[in-house]
Amino acid sequence: MGFNFDFALSTIPTIIGAIGMTLLATVLSCLGASALGFTFEMIRRGGGATGLTVRFLIDFIRSTPVLAWLYFLYFVLPFYGIRLGAMTVGILGLSLYYSGYLAEVFKAGIDAIPKGQQEAARALSLTRRDTVIFVIAPQMLRNVAAPLGNYLVSILKATPYLAILAVPEMLGRAFDIASETYRYAEPLTVAGILFLALALILAYGVKRIEQRLLGAGRR
Amino acid sequence: MHAQAPPPISAVQSIPHVRIDGLNKWFGALHVLKNIDLSVRAGARIVVCGPSGSGKSTLIRCINGLEPFQKGTIQFEAATLDKDGRDTTKARRQTGMVFQSFNLFPHLTVLANCTLALRRVLLKPAREAEEIAMQHLTAVRIPEKAQAYPAQLSGGQQQRVAIARALCLNPRIMLFDEPTSALDPEMIKEVLDVMIALAGSGVTMVCVTHEMGFAREVAGEIVFMDEGRVVEHASSKDFFSAGAHPRARLFLDTILSH
Repeated sequence: MGFNFDFALSTIPTIIGAIGMTLLATVLSCLGASALGFTFEMIRRGGGATGLTVRFLIDFIRSTPVLAWLYFLYFVLPFYGIRLGAMTVGILGLSLYYSGYLAEVFKAGIDAIPKGQQEAARALSLTRRDTVIFVIAPQMLRNVAAPLGNYLVSILKATPYLAILAVPEMLGRAFDIASETYRYAEPLTVAGILFLALALILAYGVKRIEQRLLGAGRR
Repeated sequence: MHAQAPPPISAVQSIPHVRIDGLNKWFGALHVLKNIDLSVRAGARIVVCGPSGSGKSTLIRCINGLEPFQKGTIQFEAATLDKDGRDTTKARRQTGMVFQSFNLFPHLTVLANCTLALRRVLLKPAREAEEIAMQHLTAVRIPEKAQAYPAQLSGGQQQRVAIARALCLNPRIMLFDEPTSALDPEMIKEVLDVMIALAGSGVTMVCVTHEMGFAREVAGEIVFMDEGRVVEHASSKDFFSAGAHPRARLFLDTILSH
């Protein structure tokens, strides 16, 4: 029973049908992880007891496996009466997990902004909030474009974890085909190639955005 | 106490814009500002000079609340800065600051650098903010670069934009922290020319600088600092004449001799 090329081709439409779910999970997890990560970093930067707590939380998240987070959210939370859908848990889990890493990325991005920028903003009487929105965040984004893009690709590649929660994304769909037909090589190969293609396209897009960001008004 | 009496001033100018009383600042154990008393009158043009490490930059950074201090007060007309820094926001609104390293926002155009605070702090509508910004960019002779990004400008041009940006908020007092120290020699003149024009327009200025030619031409008063103290506060004329404090004399001889 060698690799059946025709069978492989026949699985493409079914697996590609799940590409929307994969992309949705990627995009929502990215947004969630970025928002959470940035918030965490802002709180950590504020210092004090809250800052210290968040600092611990970030380290805790980064030191635990993403699979543990997904299992925990999906199987343990219902014990406490919190019942969430598979997709919600998946996005929440990936967002939480990657927020810890993105907080570190944002930290580096902010640390790289010269101190004079904050001083100029203060001298111009900008509020702390306006300083973050109009001065710090845009410059930080430019500094973090490359690592942020890498994590975007990482998150794409982490979406198959959601298969354990039966979220119908691409790898999950490939497994469905495999368990129905008892042929694993073909659907898994197709899923692998599709992930590769998506990752390459994403990486290219990220690179283009990075170049554009670097192009305008470089210091 | 070490300072000489300030130069005679007319009644109109006698209202102090800023009065510094007994200002003391420590960086850890290091006592960097020692009992500074200084009045800045409306329309005053004060040059602060002295050897490096004498506390002159720290002094003007205290005036707009960028540096906290531990003792003394800095009084503005409607705000008083003290060790708690409660009025910092109010005090800061009365000052404009020009930094040694320009500190323009690199991701914003020249125009947007100038309009940001107009729109977010003074809440001006976009059109009005742009008009005000263009007036000041014209005053610093760089209106044609409004749409350029800071990185596309020379150091001298960037510093002129920084001056325009600070002027946009219509501060009562302009603070300059070594505005020409980061510039190539051929660009110093264009920045000093703008500052000379500014001085001529009656803006109250406190300027930390080593440009003694500028001080001689523009300053009404010279504050000479050494080791965190105001060693001498005199009219420019007195300062540059033989009557100056020996420590100031030595400083002048050193920097004028090359």
